[in-house]
Amino acid sequence: MPESPTVCWSCGAARAPSDALCPACGKVQPPPPPAGVLDKFAVLGLPRAYEVDERGLDEAFRALSRKLHPDRFARATPRERRFSLEQTTILNDAYRTLRDPVKRAEHLLALRGVKVAGEERGGSAAMPQEFLEQALEDREKLLEAKMEGGPEAVASLAEGVRSKRQEAMDEIASALREQRPTPAQLQRTAQLLARLRYYARYLDEVEGRAAEI
Amino acid sequence: MALFEILEPGETRTKEACATIPVGIDLGTTNSLVAVVRPDSETGAGKPRALAVDEGSTLLPSVVSYAGTGRPVVGRAARRIAADAPRDTIVSVKRFMGKTSADPETRRLSPYRFAEGESGTVRFEVRGRAVTPVEVSAEILRALKQRAEDQLRLEVHQAVITVPAYFDDAQRQATKEAGRLAGLEVLRLLNEPTAAALAYGLDKRSQGTFAVYDLGGGTFDISVLKLVEGVFEVKAVGGDSALGGDDFDRAVAELLLSEMGRPRDARLVRQAIDAAKAAKESLTRMDRVEVEIEGWKRMLTRDEMERVIRPLVERTGPPGRRALKDAGVPEGKGLDGVILVGGSTRVPAVRAYVRELFGMEPLADIDPDEVVALGAAVQADLLTAEKPQHDVLLLDVAPLSLGLETMGGLVEKLIHRNTTIPTNATQEFTTFADGQTGMDIHVLQGERELVQDNRSLARFRLSGIPPLPAGLARVAVTFQVDADGILSVTAREQLTGVSQSITVKPSAGLTDEEIERMLLASIEHAEEDVQARLLIDARVEAQRILKAAEQQIENNGDLLAPEEKQSIEKAMQALREAAAGQDHRAVQDAIQRLDHDSAEFAKRVMDRGIERALKGHTVGEFDQGELSEHAKKAYSALGEDTRGMASPKGGR
Repeated sequence: MPESPTVCWSCGAARAPSDALCPACGKVQPPPPPAGVLDKFAVLGLPRAYEVDERGLDEAFRALSRKLHPDRFARATPRERRFSLEQTTILNDAYRTLRDPVKRAEHLLALRGVKVAGEERGGSAAMPQEFLEQALEDREKLLEAKMEGGPEAVASLAEGVRSKRQEAMDEIASALREQRPTPAQLQRTAQLLARLRYYARYLDEVEGRAAEI
Repeated sequence: MALFEILEPGETRTKEACATIPVGIDLGTTNSLVAVVRPDSETGAGKPRALAVDEGSTLLPSVVSYAGTGRPVVGRAARRIAADAPRDTIVSVKRFMGKTSADPETRRLSPYRFAEGESGTVRFEVRGRAVTPVEVSAEILRALKQRAEDQLRLEVHQAVITVPAYFDDAQRQATKEAGRLAGLEVLRLLNEPTAAALAYGLDKRSQGTFAVYDLGGGTFDISVLKLVEGVFEVKAVGGDSALGGDDFDRAVAELLLSEMGRPRDARLVRQAIDAAKAAKESLTRMDRVEVEIEGWKRMLTRDEMERVIRPLVERTGPPGRRALKDAGVPEGKGLDGVILVGGSTRVPAVRAYVRELFGMEPLADIDPDEVVALGAAVQADLLTAEKPQHDVLLLDVAPLSLGLETMGGLVEKLIHRNTTIPTNATQEFTTFADGQTGMDIHVLQGERELVQDNRSLARFRLSGIPPLPAGLARVAVTFQVDADGILSVTAREQLTGVSQSITVKPSAGLTDEEIERMLLASIEHAEEDVQARLLIDARVEAQRILKAAEQQIENNGDLLAPEEKQSIEKAMQALREAAAGQDHRAVQDAIQRLDHDSAEFAKRVMDRGIERALKGHTVGEFDQGELSEHAKKAYSALGEDTRGMASPKGGR
């Protein structure tokens, strides 16, 4: 019997597709059928906004985990165990996304139908030529500093990239705070997010070295 | 009915009234323990307690002996047999769990005779039959189950079994299979450091971020957890699955042996290791101790020992620092406590290093040998009781990244290490050739970029893709990791909906037929089957030895006089001929002959090896996997004893 997204499978009460637990009987429900982008803010019961109260986020995650985690269903029916696994998987993913400012911003764009150029397919083709050239040059400088310049030279380069990253983050945050961002603003934000990936990889390389010591 | 249930005053009707009880089991490299949660008769509060299961001790040595004719013997009794029947007595079986016979770890510790399994699984040859590490572990579990039942007068059917956080999928699967084989329903595989934190967290009712530093006989684990309002969230795990107290013993033994300067044989090496272990234990309480090996005496100070083991202890630093960084508490800033687990954390030099690494005094007020089993018992109670004794929840992580092979032998990670489980991830792939109708899916575990540097978990093929121009068919591969940390993979072609899915049965795991066979315990084969298997086994052994001999002659041929070399090569040729024939006895005889003729050579190679080892390497590092039988025997003594440190009675 296929589960209905609007009726509890156990008690038959009406429910919203996003309800993880039946509002009437409290039984765990199947996750909503896959359609478009799942609102991860809704999963945690939070408003859809870039600014997130970290404490509130952590608390919501813990409270929901207590209700949905498979450990709570070790003695339940196979059906409930499956729903619990699926719901907890979604919850963990939503929490992971919202906790990280970059992933959170990407998700906000995705909810507005804007995709951030990924690294996998034609990602770099979407980046402006001068940015790519700059990135290449930065990496060459880093390599040079590693070979010859020593730790101070590497640290000062990293500092430069960190401040670029911070600037990009600030601009992303202010664009996403807008009530009605224009399509141009959203495109610009998507591009900044793609740049952050380059910065992150750069800084990983710097820190990767520090961690090896 | 209720009228007839007369209870003692104050006694409430709980799970106790049922005839079964869930247990927590710490299936350790050195020792195994079983613990249960039972309400205190006075307060009613549930406290976990480890059961005395072996000659009055809570520690059951993880030793299984098949030397006798009846059922295998487990624990201290088995350990007493070990000296006389080293090949038929399996020690530290945990090191072999989920490993293939080709694994370096298998080669490193080869006291045993191995037979090749149908799925590449390690098999020990004991008294004419082959047993897998899973079967050996099942014997330990069976002993724990039985002894717990006898003591509690309750039946035991369900258990939470702990595994090192750093265990990969194959090792987890193997552990689960061992539980099944022992007749236990494995409620959950719980990471050892998480179990320890659970025991501590409940004991102290603490909140905050804690690191668990777990150094046992054979493995090192580090976990960082956050405890808030009864939710234990694992933030990061790391470790080294081949570093432990055994390595300390080996390092000290090397020092002793080199000073003695006597020719080494298996027995002497074995004695040196025992002496080193005993000295290590004494030096946790004393500043100096006299070591005696066959009349040779020497005073060993704690300082000297610490100098020898320091480089080993320091190897816990990088994984420790990485875990702190991953957990968002770099260099221990923001850390509220460090918990010590594992017998090797009794060594003062280890504690000093922990202090240095985390910048604080570590906690060790629960017996580090028992704490893991106690935590497992709590989790078993949580998972089964209608009203658990404690209202807590554990949120664990995937210890290692999971990915797929992509073009060019690279790994694309789908799930990153330290992701909270359960979790899933999907990645789309497309066909690269026109009309391509199948796609190979290769699942890998590990952190490295190249396929060859990671652990291969499974390969399977999705077929039935509609023939389309390249790039048009889309295949979505989904990884799902459940709350035990076990992975299942589904591949689905998006246009037609053709799909394939598997729960990853790692290459080192057992096939269903193998499990079935073991479950039915149908050890009786038809006579010709036995003959055929013996022949295959003998041939495999012959090939291994020939390869080893060839390699040694190539690497160390300069140690041989021409006529010595000739005699060895003659024996090798004879073995090659025997292996081509049909008689397994002839092959065994030829192996014996080669073994005999190369014994002196092996000894020289070993001496050279140890000489090298003492110049900055450990014995385990160099090429002992490829030595001849004789040298292997000697090395087996080095690897064999992994009992770790004994627990002082009542120590807490």
